[in-house]
Amino acid sequence: MKKRTIALLLSMGMAMSSLTGCSGSGDSGAGNSSAANDAGAQTGSTAAQAAAGNEGDAITLKFTWWGSQSRHDYTQKILDAYTAEHPNITFEPVPAGWDGYFDKLSTEAASGSMPDIVQMDYLYISTYAKNNSIADLQPYIDDKTIDVSGIDESLLNSAKINGKMAGLVLSTSLVTFPYNPEVLQKAGVEEPESGWTWDEFIAMNQKLKEAGVADAAVINPSLDTNLFNYWVRQHGNQLFSDDQKSLGYADDQLMADYIRMFKDAMDQDLVPTPDEMEQIDTLGLEAGPVVTGEGAFTQNWNNYSTLVASSNDKIKMVTPPTIGSEDKKGLWMKPGMFLSIAETSSHKKEAAEFINWFLNSDTANDIMMAERGTPSSSIARDYLTGSGKMAPQQQDMFAYVDLASSMAGATPAPDPTGMSEINKAFADACNAAFYEQMSSEDAAASFHKKADEILARNN
Amino acid sequence: MAKPSKKQHYKLKDNIAGYLFLSPWIFGFLLMWLVPAIISIYYSFTDFNLLNTPSMIGFSNYIRIFTQDDTFIQSLKVTFSYVFLLVPLRLAFALFVAMLLNQNHKGLGLYRTLYYVPSIIGGSIAVSIVWKQFFGNKGVVMSLLGLFGVQQKMSFLGNPKTALIVIVIMGVWQFGSSMLIFLSALKQIPNSLYESAMVDGGKPWQVFTRITLPMLTPTIFFNLILQIINGFRVFTESYVITDGGPLDSTLSYVLYLYRRAFTYFDMGYSCALAWVLVAIIAVFTVILFKTQNNWVHYEN
Amino acid sequence: MKTKREIHAVIFHIGACALGFIMIYPMLWLVASSFKSNDTMFQDAYSLIPKVWDAGTNYRSGLEGVGNVSFATFFVTTVLVTVVGTVGCVFISLLAAYAFTRIKFWGSNFLFGCVMMTMMIPPQVMVVPQYIILKKLGLIDTRVALIIPWFFGGAFFIFLMVQFFRGIPKELDEAAMIDGCGKAGILFRVLVPVVKPALVTASIFAFYWIWQDFFQPLIFMSTTKKFTISLALNMYLDPNSYNNYGGLFAMSVISLLPVIIFFIFFQKYLVNGIAMDGIKG
Repeated sequence: MKKRTIALLLSMGMAMSSLTGCSGSGDSGAGNSSAANDAGAQTGSTAAQAAAGNEGDAITLKFTWWGSQSRHDYTQKILDAYTAEHPNITFEPVPAGWDGYFDKLSTEAASGSMPDIVQMDYLYISTYAKNNSIADLQPYIDDKTIDVSGIDESLLNSAKINGKMAGLVLSTSLVTFPYNPEVLQKAGVEEPESGWTWDEFIAMNQKLKEAGVADAAVINPSLDTNLFNYWVRQHGNQLFSDDQKSLGYADDQLMADYIRMFKDAMDQDLVPTPDEMEQIDTLGLEAGPVVTGEGAFTQNWNNYSTLVASSNDKIKMVTPPTIGSEDKKGLWMKPGMFLSIAETSSHKKEAAEFINWFLNSDTANDIMMAERGTPSSSIARDYLTGSGKMAPQQQDMFAYVDLASSMAGATPAPDPTGMSEINKAFADACNAAFYEQMSSEDAAASFHKKADEILARNN
Repeated sequence: MAKPSKKQHYKLKDNIAGYLFLSPWIFGFLLMWLVPAIISIYYSFTDFNLLNTPSMIGFSNYIRIFTQDDTFIQSLKVTFSYVFLLVPLRLAFALFVAMLLNQNHKGLGLYRTLYYVPSIIGGSIAVSIVWKQFFGNKGVVMSLLGLFGVQQKMSFLGNPKTALIVIVIMGVWQFGSSMLIFLSALKQIPNSLYESAMVDGGKPWQVFTRITLPMLTPTIFFNLILQIINGFRVFTESYVITDGGPLDSTLSYVLYLYRRAFTYFDMGYSCALAWVLVAIIAVFTVILFKTQNNWVHYEN
Repeated sequence: MKTKREIHAVIFHIGACALGFIMIYPMLWLVASSFKSNDTMFQDAYSLIPKVWDAGTNYRSGLEGVGNVSFATFFVTTVLVTVVGTVGCVFISLLAAYAFTRIKFWGSNFLFGCVMMTMMIPPQVMVVPQYIILKKLGLIDTRVALIIPWFFGGAFFIFLMVQFFRGIPKELDEAAMIDGCGKAGILFRVLVPVVKPALVTASIFAFYWIWQDFFQPLIFMSTTKKFTISLALNMYLDPNSYNNYGGLFAMSVISLLPVIIFFIFFQKYLVNGIAMDGIKG
């Protein structure tokens, strides 16, 4: 017993001394060399910021992104390739899962230590921009450091917040209705064509239901505001007012109709209830009903068929239903993800050069193969199309952009701050109606009130 | 901790010894708890979205909690229901199983391990998937009920009236850690006590109420306090299984304040919520500590 | 008499096994899923027996790790952090619990209140201030940051041991004191052997909690090389893209094994505290 206690105490002492040693000597500890190097490089170059940009200066860029295993692996290859071309630039990659990515980023921002280059989501970009956490990229676009000639202008400007280019849009996605052609064929339902209407959509699903398709349209109308935004836009309105301090439409009947249409569809068992939807989601994308042949339609983004290709390579995509001749072209090119540069970064110029290369270079696109979504830049799209390396589903994904552009209206202004709270309020209101705790009208009114409150508080 | 009389005289030697033994903990406490706690109290009086510089706004956050926040009230309801359903059920079950496993049978080590496993895999993704399937539309529970002719349209996790109950059942299922603590306390009861009771001709029930239970009261007290505190701070279960839904029916208090902090960029408000929660828990804890003289049996 | 005992034993084992199956089902599901091919995994999600076996791919991709860092690296870091953290946590909590129960000193009630208070604060609001402090100390993104939150003891452990100490008669200390033991001597020679079940329990908890600690490490750590397993696991998933569930589940299985082995090994010490027999009698 005694021996063991002494051993314990000894190891404790050692642990203690190593602890105090570390905290005492700050970042010079040998045990954590890479962090120490980085910290050294950071502070060193702040002092010599004027010298930054000199060719040949050894520079380390910290780059963080979220993704799955394959994205982490190939992004590392892209970074290695860049370092091979630019030996003075090395990277400190910070790959992460989606869960917790923004918790960590905001904590880092709170202490002024955001990575130099940040993969950014549309939901949060305006919050970061308005609090001056991310740098304005416009100067680098103006001086041609970043070539944006291939990017649709309104898509590019989706990151223009308070007159500042808060990020460079990397990819784009459009609302789409993927479907399983085999299921339609078996039920004797003709495949839809672009320009079909909501009424036709409902009629098709009724027919599918009669033919015994379990989940006719696997759509979650309350997931977020995207489908509703399309609905609002195709009726000639906009979701948010120009000053973003309130909702952009006046008549709550608009939302009540949206809710009622899906509530009716749920009652007829055409669309899953929120409860059923929750369980379908549990199965993951690859085992969703449309992929396995138990469902016919779903609603997603235009990279859907690519994502599920390994489970089912037959999935096709069509533009979402219209409201007929009155339709005001509700589609828009939604920015997928952005690359932003931290305001605190001392290597903004180098970071901008890298972003340009990441966006436009053949090398980067060859490795990335549109895994981050349809590239925003036509330079990248054309290169990939011409390379002949793309899977058929990826070709569909690119073709959809052209197809949909004929149905797309103007891109709306960037989402307002507080968007995730808006999405939550929207889901709550819809679900209250779907659970029959409220009428469609009351739900629409309650969302309007809640959304206005959130928008007024945040913008 | 026994309440010192009003004019307690401390010996210098004891003071030195006490603080010497406590010093490593105090060091960690100052570093990781006290200073951060003070900072977070400061945040609770500011408008702080994590990205801006906090600016003082007095009691506004607290006023907003109590006057304008329906979700606060909903999450409080959920959390109270959770605590008062879960704690008695889990403790009773844990004690029962611990007693069973405190006998002389073969393979007890195996059973202990099996029963502890749910506490290990806790809130992992595998558990959340299995759990959703179990109580889902096509799940085992629904099929069983179907056999008995009970037809229900909604799944248990998808029904705002029953979702919380599933979360509670899951909490009871994870009784392993409480069981373990009971078990180690049972092991500490001297055999001689049982032997003398047997000699006196005590029946099993009498042995339980006269010896086991009183000897266990410090541990019951511990588990009770602990479970109440952890119950009020429940996060993982509602985050992983239902994400607070459907219709906020499983939105726990801490899940709500986490969302406020990191999803809605409302850290100042979230800190205020946190300190309101601390106050609530503290009230319960203090009340329980006050009652312990009446029922907890200590050896000194 | 003998048959009655046997019947009793049979009933006990049947009941215990049935309960055991319910308890362990998700674990079985996890193991079974780690053998399933990634593409068909959720199509036969209800079945424990894989339709398409693909254990090789899953475990290979799991062991390959992520972002050029192998699973072995995560494993070594996790073991290191967990062992140092557990030893520090249990030992320092033991010292604190001893002080709270056996020494009368000024401010002990107040400090014990502080101990309890640390249990009540939601960690979600502490993480930003903690990050700022650790950053000032230059400890962000170091393995020390993984250990520090645990090393200096924790309220749960202190409170647990306090309750156990209070169940031990003071005569034990006094007898030792007469024999010439100092305070440290009493603690390590007399009390520690008696509260061994509590120490074992505390170690089991500490080991497991540190092993799967997620939220704070997520915020504090950036370099993939220094990640623990639970952080690495999180890197497998992005709800918006194709996910390697097979690798994730395979890695989960491998990462849970040490915790279960640790438990199986340590639960053996949950035996009767012999030391107290004879004193009470």
